[in-house]
Amino acid sequence: MKFKAFVYVTLKSGYSDPEGDTTADALKGLGYSVNKVRASKAYEVYFEGKDKEQAKALIEEMCRRLLTNPTKDDYRFELSEQ
Amino acid sequence: MTRIQRSDFSFEHHTVDLLNAGDEELKEIAETLGLGLSLEELRYIRDHYLIQERKATDIELQTFDQTMSEHCSHKTFAGIIKTPEGTVNGLLKTYLMSLIDELEPEWCFSVFKDNAGIVDFTEDVGIAIKVETHNHPSAIEPFGGAATGLGGVIRDIMGVWANPIANTDVLCFGPLDYDYEKLPEGVKHPRYLFSGVVDGIGSYGNSIGIPTVNGATVFDEDYIGNVVVYAGCIGTIPKDQYIRNIKAGDLMVLAGGKTGLDGIHGVTFASAELTEKSEEVSRPAVQIANPIEEEKIKRAIKQVSDLKLGSGITDIGGGGLSCGVCETAETYGLGVEAYLDRIPLKAEDMAPWEIWISESQERMLLAVPPENLSKVLKIFEDEQVETTVLGEYNESGIATLYFHGEIIGKLVLQDLFNPPKLNRETNWSPPKLEEPVIPELEDLGEALLQLLSAYNIASKEKVVRRYDQEVKGQTVIKPLQGWKAGPSDASVLKPLEGEWKGISVASGINPRYGKIDPYWMAASVIDEAVRNSVCVGGRRWALLDNFTWGNPEYEDRLGGLVYACRGCYDTAKVYGTPFVSGKDSLYNESPMGPVAPTLLITSLGIVPDIRKAISMELKETGNALYVIGVTKPELGGSEYYKLHDELGASVPKLDAERNITAYRRVLDAMDWGLVRACHDCSEGGLAVAVAEMAFTGDLGVDLDIGKVPVSENMREDYVLFSESNGRLIIEVPAELTSNFEAVMSDTPMACIGAVKKDRAVTMTKDGEPVMELDLDTLISAWKKPLEERR
Amino acid sequence: MNKEDIRVLILRAPGTNCDLEAVRSFRELGPQVDLIHTQKMFKDKNLEDYDVLLFPGGFSYGDYVRSGAIWAKECEYRIGKELSEFVDEGKPLIGICNGFQQLVEMGFLPGWKGKSLYPEAALGNSTHGYQNRWIRMRYEGKGNCDMMGGLEEGFILQCPVAHGEGRFILPPDQREELLQRLYDLDMMVWRYVREDGSYAENDWPENPNGAYHDVAGICNPEGNVLGLMPHPERAFYGYLMPEWTKQSTPPEHGDGYPFFKSIVDYVEKNF
Repeated sequence: MKFKAFVYVTLKSGYSDPEGDTTADALKGLGYSVNKVRASKAYEVYFEGKDKEQAKALIEEMCRRLLTNPTKDDYRFELSEQ
Repeated sequence: MTRIQRSDFSFEHHTVDLLNAGDEELKEIAETLGLGLSLEELRYIRDHYLIQERKATDIELQTFDQTMSEHCSHKTFAGIIKTPEGTVNGLLKTYLMSLIDELEPEWCFSVFKDNAGIVDFTEDVGIAIKVETHNHPSAIEPFGGAATGLGGVIRDIMGVWANPIANTDVLCFGPLDYDYEKLPEGVKHPRYLFSGVVDGIGSYGNSIGIPTVNGATVFDEDYIGNVVVYAGCIGTIPKDQYIRNIKAGDLMVLAGGKTGLDGIHGVTFASAELTEKSEEVSRPAVQIANPIEEEKIKRAIKQVSDLKLGSGITDIGGGGLSCGVCETAETYGLGVEAYLDRIPLKAEDMAPWEIWISESQERMLLAVPPENLSKVLKIFEDEQVETTVLGEYNESGIATLYFHGEIIGKLVLQDLFNPPKLNRETNWSPPKLEEPVIPELEDLGEALLQLLSAYNIASKEKVVRRYDQEVKGQTVIKPLQGWKAGPSDASVLKPLEGEWKGISVASGINPRYGKIDPYWMAASVIDEAVRNSVCVGGRRWALLDNFTWGNPEYEDRLGGLVYACRGCYDTAKVYGTPFVSGKDSLYNESPMGPVAPTLLITSLGIVPDIRKAISMELKETGNALYVIGVTKPELGGSEYYKLHDELGASVPKLDAERNITAYRRVLDAMDWGLVRACHDCSEGGLAVAVAEMAFTGDLGVDLDIGKVPVSENMREDYVLFSESNGRLIIEVPAELTSNFEAVMSDTPMACIGAVKKDRAVTMTKDGEPVMELDLDTLISAWKKPLEERR
Repeated sequence: MNKEDIRVLILRAPGTNCDLEAVRSFRELGPQVDLIHTQKMFKDKNLEDYDVLLFPGGFSYGDYVRSGAIWAKECEYRIGKELSEFVDEGKPLIGICNGFQQLVEMGFLPGWKGKSLYPEAALGNSTHGYQNRWIRMRYEGKGNCDMMGGLEEGFILQCPVAHGEGRFILPPDQREELLQRLYDLDMMVWRYVREDGSYAENDWPENPNGAYHDVAGICNPEGNVLGLMPHPERAFYGYLMPEWTKQSTPPEHGDGYPFFKSIVDYVEKNF
């Protein structure tokens, strides 16, 4: 079965986020009243799995193994069949 | 339209019937195919096919379009220009290349005939250098445009088999504080362009691991609609590895990234004016950069070069394969067969003509003798770089293009590269401008602080720090000097292990002078590029020219260009500094008008022993401070006038003979060990130069400005802030001043003060106080403006 | 062993770029140095032939995902066993800049209880974005990091940083506790300091990236894996120091020299 996972990698709370802060400043500079920006990363992963259960396990593993550093990153994903 | 017919092939391909086509029909054909050719060129092509007695194909016309574009063929610089002072048969030939014949520098190894100029360094090793412009793409998409600009010039260096070791960048923007409301539609704010361009250059240079060692950032209102991005690269090349020997039977190997839709018609785009529609129309013309791909290619090409396995090489840049393949074949009087269906693609369903002219980045074309092919392919494979054997060179003089077994185009190479010469005329002469009356200021210290905070003078640390300046461990004099990060005049590199000889890299640029008189701008920026190099101990200069100009079809733009070229010739001839490479970018026009006439001169010098290189900051209490050269009341185009919102008319001129003599004496003094610091007087004049030396060295100075050699009696502010050429400030050990004066005896100079421990710049005139400012005040005025914004 | 018999391996990947400075630094001190593409090492798997391994700086695989992450996972997958054996034998493994990021991503650093499965620290994006600037760092080791044994405690080394992601981070919920452990186990090796030698205390630019507790470099509990963000290899020669022109001729060596000399001397004496 073919699957697509949309993975969001976000910075855990409690960390400073220079990219987000800089972006917030830039948006403020353009005249928007922005309170806060947090930068995150997103990946679309297309892959094969036996069933949804296994696909979920696989994408979890990919997230832990490469896409995030658990010291600083949180992740969540949306899994769908293709 | 009926003249364009789809072929019977299974892929997209058209024939174009040009027989007896009238002007209107030619224009319509050009528009349908998206060609940027002029009517005169279209007629030339029509007649070419009349003789051939056949229809043209889409891919052939696209090839003509690419090779005849301003960007590839430099038709303005090659064309015939009628002026009141006589007819110029090619600006390039007459004013820039001719110096090679007249000066006969035996150290010029290969100039004006390849991707980059090459000069001797040691007996066995040469230095390759090239500076490119990437203005239009950077205006549309600053990050990608600037990044690919740098990527392209690095490939120019690899395109002469050299190993890139350093980059340069010179950037021109509108003022960062420009009012958003005043921006015309389609023009991006200077601040957006600034951060995008700087990040783009940094991202590419840093990722590929080549230090950015020299540059400048210029701000002027005339860049608001036309951002200017110059990127340069320098490489080392063992001379026996410079192999240019393509023979029939050699194979064409395309190495690097896949080919996609990016950058299609980039060349014609670069040669056209920007309009408010440029953004939507031009998006596909923007290339996507992948520095890591180029890093891999760089490693592989170094190995192929070291093992001398290739017979020729070129980068795939403007015009894509169409230019790279046809140019290499034509240069050696050969023909070529190319199989375009072999090329790996990023996008599906690309028409063969799109594959042929795509400007996808990070691709190189190598010519390889058949017996070396497997070794070359293995080297690329080991570096994880994809290769395609694209075809083979032959003796036909014709480029035959195949796609899935069908012949889709046949180009007679000689006709492709002999377009009709452009004929133009200009009667322009520089405008008569007024000299302003500037109110005399009470507080010259305040004026100095304001100048230090002027965007064009203030610290560019914010920019420079975003670039790796010292990866490879060869940067001996860095762009930011010492812990205080003062402004170095030039960078010094030590390119070879076990060799103390080094090179200096410096630049000169001043668009405000160009607005007054392009002739004197050219003279001034050559002087500045050479002068900067002198400061660190550089000599035997090779120059590079880069013109960024408006539409040369207007008489004033063209006239200015002719003046600037004459200024280049006259000055470089006296200085004995040949041009070894150059690149122009014309048609820089926007809804806000033409770009400021901008000539960048880059100087590449030799530093005989890097252990004797000189930096710009003050070194030791008690040492004497000298000024070399004469200060004149010529403040036209100066930053001081700009403070008062004036341009003025009295642009700095120069006595080339006198300046070069002084520089030679200064170098002698350096070789005798008589110089501890040296800094040039440029924007902001003598006062700014002295302040920079003081705060960078964290030492104070006492100065008597009454002792400054002047051409006539001058106001104090003019003495302090005049930007007269040919001037240097030099720190001399107290005990060696008489030796120094003896060496310098035939050149105008004076001891104007001494270094002191007390951390302040104190100026007097004939015993009367002129100003006193402490170093912290000075350095913070200088550092603040660009620190405040990203 | 003799200096000349020491074999140093410097691995590279697409995007590596400080390899040549590292090569020449070791080479000048006597050892044989091999610079090898990791793809080749993945095939040959002959790590055991070497006495010192260094992962140099650069932007391996473009630093996509996170700096050093892709190369780290690739190495772990292809030569993970060989790397662990190399470390278990007590041989020095050094990561500079991108190499440090990689050692953290591979789990060798901090490596509280040996190599961890997932990273236990991070090198986050720096407070001021990418910057190339000179810093001062103080040697904090008390003896655990044997390869730095040639340095006096409190030695201050001037060299450049050049990175966008180098902000040393420990998990916030156990930050203080883990910091104490770094000290207890003598894993704190380099910290950013001011000109007068006092700790930067997170002041920019002395602490160039916002690193927690001014941490510039740490080692593992066993002391044979060392990672640091700054580049001593770029300060190896005197003419690379930022203010060498204050002297009329540059000294032969710069601050980076004792760093590499200490590693070579250590291997010479102990292997």
